Amino acid sequence: MYLTRFRVNTARVGARKLLSSPQSLHAAVMGGFPGILPSAGGSPRVLWRLDRNARAEVLLYVVSPDKPDLTHLVEDAGWPTLPEVGWETRDYMPFLDRLAVGDVWGFRLTANPVHSVRVEGKEDKEKHDTKPTPHVTPRHQMRWLLQREERSGFQVVRKAAEQERLPDGDDCELVVWGAQRLRFRKTGSAERAGGRGASDVRLTTVTFDGRLQVTDPAKLRHTLTAGLGRAKAYGCGLMTLAPVASAGATQRRSA
Amino acid sequence: MSVLALCLAGPLQAWGSSARFARRTTENVPTKSGVLGMLAAAQGRDRAADVSDLAELRFGVRVDQRGTRIRDFQTAHHTETGNAMPVSERFYLADAVFVAGVEGDGDLIAALHRAVRSPVYLPYLGRRSCPPSRPVDIGAFDGTDAVLEDVFRSVEWQAAEHHRRRRSGERRVALPVFMDAAEGDREKNSRRDLPVSFDPRHRRYALRDVKADTVEVPNPTHRAPAAPSHHDPMPPLGGD
Repeated sequence: MYLTRFRVNTARVGARKLLSSPQSLHAAVMGGFPGILPSAGGSPRVLWRLDRNARAEVLLYVVSPDKPDLTHLVEDAGWPTLPEVGWETRDYMPFLDRLAVGDVWGFRLTANPVHSVRVEGKEDKEKHDTKPTPHVTPRHQMRWLLQREERSGFQVVRKAAEQERLPDGDDCELVVWGAQRLRFRKTGSAERAGGRGASDVRLTTVTFDGRLQVTDPAKLRHTLTAGLGRAKAYGCGLMTLAPVASAGATQRRSA
Repeated sequence: MSVLALCLAGPLQAWGSSARFARRTTENVPTKSGVLGMLAAAQGRDRAADVSDLAELRFGVRVDQRGTRIRDFQTAHHTETGNAMPVSERFYLADAVFVAGVEGDGDLIAALHRAVRSPVYLPYLGRRSCPPSRPVDIGAFDGTDAVLEDVFRSVEWQAAEHHRRRRSGERRVALPVFMDAAEGDREKNSRRDLPVSFDPRHRRYALRDVKADTVEVPNPTHRAPAAPSHHDPMPPLGGD
C-alpha cells in the first residue's frame, strides 16, 4: 500500500474544475492507476481525500495498492515546471505494520455519515423500503463514528471529566467540522435514467479531527486501507494518522 | 441622576399597549406603563394613586433575548359557578429576556430600589399570570452622570445559557434598545403607554415617543470558531 500527497494549485482553471466536482476528481485520481480496471473488485481499493487547510493549501491524499502516476494531475492542476511541487508517494506498509495496541495518534477522516430510514414503498403500501439518510447534526455525526470505533480497531480518546464543557456529548477528543452538502449529476447516467432528477447524487460529508488509541492493529490497518463508511468514490472514508503532542488537537483548538 | 435596572425574564410575558376587550395583544418589548405599574405596585401605591412622579422618569428597555410570540385561545370557566367566561385571545412573549431601566432623581430611584427588594405587591411581567423566573432587581446605579445608555452598556448580557451558546461565535453582541426619545430626535415612533392614571374605572395613557438604537455588550460565552487543526500524516512514514 502507498500513501500519496498531491498539492493542488488552486489558482488554475483545471484545479477549479476538479475541486468543484467529486466525480471528475475521482476520475482524475483513478486515471493515475493504469493497472486498475474500473470493474475490479476486492478489498484493497483506491481511497482519496481533499484537505482544504487554507485557500491556497489544498492537499489531495490518496491511499492505493499501487504507486500512482499523477503526471496528468500536475499538468492540469499542479505546478508542471517546478521540480519540487509534484506529488510524493511513500510506502505505507512499514507504518501500518508498526501500529500497536495502545498507540495514540491524531486522526483525520472525511466521511459520509448516514443511517437507514424506513420509507413507504411506492408500488405496494404494505411493503416498506429503507433509504440511507444523512446525519445532519454534529452530535449524530459524532455518534455515527463512535458506533464504528470498535469494529474499526480504535477508540477515540475520552476526555478527563474536568475538561468537558458541555453537559452532554462532549466527552471525546473529537471535533466535527467542514460539513458540505454536495449534489451533482452522474455524467452519462442522465440519458440512461431519461434525464430525470433521479440520477442526482446527494451527499453530506463532514470531517472528523481527533485523537484515537489503537485497540486492534489488524482491524485498524483494514480501516486505513479499505476506508470507513459510504461514498468512497467521492472522497469519503479515507482516515489518516498523524503524530500529536500530548495535548490533543481538540484542546488546542478551544484555547 | 440615578438608574435602576431590572431584569424581566420569564417563561411568559405580555406587554399590551393597545389591548382591548377579548383580544389581548402584546408588544415586542416591555411598555413603560407595565414597568412603572410594577414599580408602583412594589411601593404599595393604590390603583388610583398619583403616578406623575414615575411617569417623569426616563425609561428604556434592552432586548437581551427576543423570545417568540405565542397565541392562546382561552375558553375559561368560572371555578365556582361554572359559567363560561368570555372567549378571549391572548398573546404572549415566550422565553424572552429584557433589561429595563428607569433614570431619574436619586432619592426616588433609591426608594424604588428598596421597594423592588421588598415589594408590597409581587412583581409580574405585564399580566398577572406571568411571574418572573429570576429576581427582578439588577441594581441601582448612582452618581452624577449615571445615565441609561451607560447602564445598558455595562450590565452583563442576561440571555439564557442556551441562547448565548447559539451566538458563541460573536465576540460582542449587538442588542436593540428602545428609549424615551429626547426633544431633538428625528427618528422616533410613538406608543400610547405613558401612564396618566391606573385607576381601574378610568385608565388613561398618553403618547410617548420611542427611539430605537443598539448597544454592544461583551459575549461571555464567546469561543473562537473551530478551524482545521494541523494534520500531517507524512512524517511517520519515513523518507522514500
